[in-house]
Amino acid sequence: MLSKTASKTVASLEAGRNCIKSRNGGWLPGEGVFVHGHRLLEDLVLNKSYMQIVVLNATGRLVSRELADWMEAILGCMSWPDPRIWCNQIGALAGETQATVSAATVAGTLAADSRAYGQGTLVKGVEFIKNALAKQQQGKTAVEITAEEIKSNRGKPNIMGFARPLAQGDERVAAMEKLTEKLGFKRGPHLQLAYDIEAELLAQFGESMNIAGYMSAFLADHNFSASEIYSVYAVSVMSGVMACHVEYADQPAHSFLPLRCDDINYTGTPVRSVKSI
Amino acid sequence: MKQSVDREVKRRDEKFVAKTETKIWLEACCEDNPYIAENVYCHGYDILDLMENCNVIEVVFLLYKGELPSLEQREIFEKLFIGLINPGPRHAATRAAMNVGVGKTHPVHLLPIASMVMGGEKAAGEVEAAMRFFRKSYRKPAAQVVAELSLHAGQDWQRPVPGFGQSYGGIDVLSAKLGCYLSGLPGAAEILNWGQEFSQLLAEKSAGWLSTGLAAAVFSDLGLHPKFAGPLYQLIAAPGLIAHGMEMYTKPLTAMPYVKDENYVVENRK
Repeated sequence: MLSKTASKTVASLEAGRNCIKSRNGGWLPGEGVFVHGHRLLEDLVLNKSYMQIVVLNATGRLVSRELADWMEAILGCMSWPDPRIWCNQIGALAGETQATVSAATVAGTLAADSRAYGQGTLVKGVEFIKNALAKQQQGKTAVEITAEEIKSNRGKPNIMGFARPLAQGDERVAAMEKLTEKLGFKRGPHLQLAYDIEAELLAQFGESMNIAGYMSAFLADHNFSASEIYSVYAVSVMSGVMACHVEYADQPAHSFLPLRCDDINYTGTPVRSVKSI
Repeated sequence: MKQSVDREVKRRDEKFVAKTETKIWLEACCEDNPYIAENVYCHGYDILDLMENCNVIEVVFLLYKGELPSLEQREIFEKLFIGLINPGPRHAATRAAMNVGVGKTHPVHLLPIASMVMGGEKAAGEVEAAMRFFRKSYRKPAAQVVAELSLHAGQDWQRPVPGFGQSYGGIDVLSAKLGCYLSGLPGAAEILNWGQEFSQLLAEKSAGWLSTGLAAAVFSDLGLHPKFAGPLYQLIAAPGLIAHGMEMYTKPLTAMPYVKDENYVVENRK
C-alpha cells in the first residue's frame, strides 16, 4: 500500500537527518555554552540573575534586573506550603508513598496546570486583558466590557484573572503592588484597565483582581505574550509542592489525612455476581 | 502608587462535602480495623469474582462504563488495545521513554515521563478533539464533509480534522490497515464505519486515518465520554513505552545516537 507522499516531502525529511540547528543556543565543547547568542558562563552567570536567564530562555529577550526581580517575586507569591491546596496535596501524597522529591514536585506542579487555578489560568488571563484593552481602544468603556463578560458567563463574575477559590480578595496582589511601587514601575494601560474592571466587580459582587489577573496585566504592559508568560511560570508552584513533600516524606505511613473505609461514600451499584449475567 | 482597593481577604465558607463519593469502588472494612478493607467491589462485583470470571479488558471497560462489555464490545476494545499497544521506537513519547532508560532515570519515572510527552495535543490530546469531531460530523455523509473541507482555500491536509491527516507528508499506511481491520469486526459500529469511509475518501489527498482517530472512533462507538479519550489512549500505549524504555536500561549512554558537534549548529553566537 502506498502512502502517496510527495517526493519533495521525503527529501525534506532526509535533509533533516542527524542535524540540529538551534536559535536558542547550546553547548559546543571547547567554545562554550550559548543562550540566545549570549555566553552563559562568561557573561550571564557573572552579570545576570537566574530569573533573567529563565526569561531569556523563555522569550529570547534579556529583561532588566528590576523586571526580573519583579517576575521572581511572583514565584514567591506562589510558594505556599499548605497541603490542603490541590497541587500541594499531590506533594504530600507523594511524600506518604515516599516517591522522590523530584517526582513529587513535578507531579504537583503538573496538577497546577489547571483551568481552575495555578499556571494553567495564565493564558486565558492574559488573553482576556489583551482583548479587553483592544475593545477599550475601539471605544468601549471598562463598564461595558465588564458587563459583556458577566453576561457571557450567565451573570456570574467568572472572569479569568478575577476572584479565586476559597476566599474573596487576594493578599498576593497587595504584596506585588508594594513591590511594583518599590521598583519604580508605572501603571500601564492593561493594568489600568484591570483596575477599572476590578472596581466594577467590587461594586457589583465584592470580587477583586487575583494574582493571575494582576501579573497578566502587568506583564502584558511589558510586551509579554500569553504563551511567554505561561512558559516563564510553567513551574510556578513547585516550591510549595516540594515543601509539602518534605513534610510528609519522613513521617510514618498514613500520616496524611488517613481515611477509613467508610470515609468514602459508595453510591454505586449494589453487590452483584458476574455469573448472574 | 497608592493601592486602588483595600485588599481585605475574607473566607468564602464554601460548602465542601464531608465525604468523597464514588460509584466505582466499595470497600467493606475488616471487623476489627475500619482502615483495612476486607472485601472490595467494582461497580458491585467482588474483585475475586472478576478475577475468576473476567479478563483485564473486560474489567477496564467495567471501570469506565460501569457495566461489563458485550462480546462484540470486548473484542473491538481488545483489538484496538493490541493495535495501538506500541507507538513504536520513533514516536516522540517512546523516544522519551528510551531517553529515560539509557539515562538511568529512576524506572518508576519512565511511564509518567513518557505519558506526559504522549499527552500532547498532537498525540493523546487529539483523541478527545477527534471524538468531538465525530459527534458533530457523523450524521452527514462522509463525502459531504470532505467536500466542505476541500472548499477551504489552500486546505492543509496534514491535519484537516482531528484524528485524520498525513504522517510524514503521506498516508499513515499502518493506521489505514488497522482501520480496515477494525471496521471489519462484528463490533464495528456507526462511528468507526463512518470514519473508515471518510478515511478512504481522504486517500486522494494523501491523507487518512491516524491512530488518534482510530481510537476516537472506537471510544465513540463504545459510548465513552470524550474526556476519557486522552488518558485512555495514554494507557493503551503504556506497555510499548515501558518495553522500549526498559530495553535501554541495560545499555550504556552510547547506545543511542548523540548528534556530533559538527552537526549541531548554534546560530547567533556572540
